[in-house]
Amino acid sequence: MQNRSAVALLIAVLSFWPFPAEAQKNKELAGKCLTCHKQVSPGLYQQWYESSHAVHQVTCIDCHGADKRDIDAFSHNGAQIAVLVTPKDCGVCHAKERDQVGGSHHARAGQILESEDAYLAHVTAGHPVAITGCEACHGANVRIDKNSPNKLSPLSWPNSGIGRINPDGSLGACNACHPRHLFSRAQARQPQSCSKCHLGPDHPQKEVYEESKHGNSYATAIETMNLHSDRWVVGQDYYAAPTCATCHMSATAEQPVTHDVGTRLSYSLRPAISKRQDNWQQKRQAMKQVCSACHRSGFIDGHYAQFDATVALYDEKFAKPATELMTLIRKRQLLEKPASFANDIEWTYWEIWHHEGRRARHGVSMMGPDYTWWHGLYEVAQHFYFKFLPQAMELQDPEVDAWIDRLLAEPEHRWMEEQTEVLRKQIRDGKVQAIYRDLFPQKP
Amino acid sequence: MLQRYLNFLRGISVNWLGKIGVILVTSSFIAFLTMEMLRLTGAITNDYIGLITYMLFPALFVFGLLLIPFAWMRYRRQRGKSTRELLDETFSTEDLRSHMFGSRLVLNIGALTLLNVIFMLAVSARTLHFMDSAHFCGTACHRVMNPEWTTYQRSPHARVACVECHVGEGVKALIDSKLNGLRQMVLAATNTYNRPIPTPVHQLRPSRETCEKCHWPDHFYGERLLRQTHYAPDRHSTASHTSLLLRIESYAADGKAGIHWHISDRHAVRYAAADARRESIAWTEVVHPDGSTTRYQNTALDPSMAATATEVRTMDCVDCHNRATHIYEEPGSAVDRRLVAGELPLELPFIKREGLAAIRPFYPDTLAARQRIDAHLRGFYRRLGEPVQAELVDKAVVVLQSTYTRNVHPQMQLDWNTYPSLIGHRTENSGCFRCHQPAMQGTKGDTLAHDCFMCHRLVAWDESDPYRYFSPAPDSARDRALHDYLHRQLVQP
Repeated sequence: MQNRSAVALLIAVLSFWPFPAEAQKNKELAGKCLTCHKQVSPGLYQQWYESSHAVHQVTCIDCHGADKRDIDAFSHNGAQIAVLVTPKDCGVCHAKERDQVGGSHHARAGQILESEDAYLAHVTAGHPVAITGCEACHGANVRIDKNSPNKLSPLSWPNSGIGRINPDGSLGACNACHPRHLFSRAQARQPQSCSKCHLGPDHPQKEVYEESKHGNSYATAIETMNLHSDRWVVGQDYYAAPTCATCHMSATAEQPVTHDVGTRLSYSLRPAISKRQDNWQQKRQAMKQVCSACHRSGFIDGHYAQFDATVALYDEKFAKPATELMTLIRKRQLLEKPASFANDIEWTYWEIWHHEGRRARHGVSMMGPDYTWWHGLYEVAQHFYFKFLPQAMELQDPEVDAWIDRLLAEPEHRWMEEQTEVLRKQIRDGKVQAIYRDLFPQKP
Repeated sequence: MLQRYLNFLRGISVNWLGKIGVILVTSSFIAFLTMEMLRLTGAITNDYIGLITYMLFPALFVFGLLLIPFAWMRYRRQRGKSTRELLDETFSTEDLRSHMFGSRLVLNIGALTLLNVIFMLAVSARTLHFMDSAHFCGTACHRVMNPEWTTYQRSPHARVACVECHVGEGVKALIDSKLNGLRQMVLAATNTYNRPIPTPVHQLRPSRETCEKCHWPDHFYGERLLRQTHYAPDRHSTASHTSLLLRIESYAADGKAGIHWHISDRHAVRYAAADARRESIAWTEVVHPDGSTTRYQNTALDPSMAATATEVRTMDCVDCHNRATHIYEEPGSAVDRRLVAGELPLELPFIKREGLAAIRPFYPDTLAARQRIDAHLRGFYRRLGEPVQAELVDKAVVVLQSTYTRNVHPQMQLDWNTYPSLIGHRTENSGCFRCHQPAMQGTKGDTLAHDCFMCHRLVAWDESDPYRYFSPAPDSARDRALHDYLHRQLVQP
């Protein structure tokens, strides 16, 4: 019995023992890769040289080395390599990060795009922009081209979209935030890193942040932010301002760093009508804990009260009625053309929620007043009253007209039929405000 | 005797034209002799004077001689008399009396003509000899040749005359070169030559006849150390070194030969270029001793371009050493070289960066270049607001100005890198990499070798220590994998 265990142990040890010849070969290859690439891609080499990877003797072959059986592997000056480095490759050393990213909303960005077929881009614009626009952020479903020298098709390479669907089955691209080959932690901590995708008319998180006090303070005090530090705990290693990473990912005195960006988000503000996340109270608590590195609870709770009320205002006054009306119009088959987005009113509805409504909600979530109102709810209201409803009325359907009449009789929409002076007086008296009382937390 | 000669002169000076002829002939003859005497005795050493001695005086001499009969014909037409009557008027009867070998006048003319012919033969020989001198080539067409003359004088071939490489031997070569020279003279006189002058790659003489007179293939063996120093554009112009052991053998066992394998006479390396400057190669092949060939095709070249590559050329020296003599520097390495030599003072802060910035632009003319280089450097050190030694700045200005005027020639539209060198590999597809690149594919799908160690081993690569890889890597080195690899390449047999 004992003998058998000893033999088993010996076999186990031997099977994991690195073959000296193999190790020597890799060492030789590593030197060869570096020598050639110092010449042919000096910028890339220099970035690697400055990276932590170089300090720890992690070289080209450690990440790009591939198994001959890999679908994207090819022979390159005596080495089997792959150009594509996936979260699975990075995860050999960074296992915790791989698992956190793999479970995050980021990792599913490519699948989300696939499930929606990138419909709008494909039908209204065309395939090239689906690649260079949509997939560049969301991540491509990587195509293999056997005839391409690097085995990758130019239809999906280069691509560092955050939810890239890789040939090895893994999801994501670590270099979406940690660009090769410096893999700088400072870069990932800066708002510019997230701003590759989180900006523009449909989700202006970058612009909102820049408008906010947080962004202002950051821009003023970048050099005090200790961005290159190994440890980066808010309130301890830096204090001037939070960046995107601070609130959504980084370590606090009580929480560890996480690569799942959704763990502190209580809402999904992406869809037409806002949704609470699963376990939202717990997630909100985690975010409040980040806030508490600088703010006391009165400030934090006040912010959330304003935030919740504005989100609810958008949802209840505009998003839900607009969505209900669109559903009614579609149910009654009132649209002239059959294809989605082939009719005016569909674009109007889309922009109300996908652009303007998100701007309002993202604006209020990060305290960007201009995005909350002028770029946000102001545009939602204008387009709802003077574009969306008139386009619905043009359909000349009695049921739709009746529905609109009912809506406009609601207290929050009735203002159109009042005299201005009366309304002004009602504002001064607090009667108009009273309509929205229920949106704020009720005192017990 | 002298009296008789003077009488003769007086006799042929029938009008002002004849007088000018006589004066020109006599004075240029005497002047030539004087100048030649002065040169022979060493009183004149300036080569430039040869333009006057061997070009101007002989031309005036011939011109004067031609004037004399012309003057005589004009004189006869004006007077409306016969030759005999005029001769009677001008010369004494004694001179005109017939003897066995003709009259004394005829003998005089005969003797003087013989003297002239002998003199002109001697002068022509001297003139041809002078035209073979580098000074003639370099300075006769001053404006056109100045760039080539400037670079030649500072080249490793400064003591090899132009004609040794550009004319070659034999009567045909001589006549060809003189005819070509005549064409160029017309172009220069009518101001219709190209600026810059295109490199005459197609008219060059075969290097087997020229270069190999001194550098024959057996000359190349072993390894040669090439050490380059690069200065960074920082405050201290920090130096870094790249040292290569270049394998330059022509002959060695299979697979062991070095760069000059290409010109070994055991085989021929041939290629066809798709452009006139031979920078874009369509295909290349080795012709083995048994006549068989191994060919590689440039798969990256546009097929319509490749189709234009019809001229097949056998590789020789100038396919790589295209700038062996007329060496134009690159601005960055020109500054580096003067820093290594100590001509530019390293004590000046930012001297690499500012020196390069001063000489990099293309100025409208040489005078403007001198002024603006001066203004740039002095301006920078004034603005820097730190005390720097004025004499060091003075020195740097002078060196940078001469660096510029050596390499850039605005009057010929010749900027930095107008004539790139093909030695080594400066960019992805230049020099050696014209052929040795992954796109050059053989018939079996193999690629023309482009391995670093085929041509050189690395002793240092952008390192502070020029011999760094002779020692093994320290444990703390970030580039330990690279260092150890290159170290093994150096120490393994």
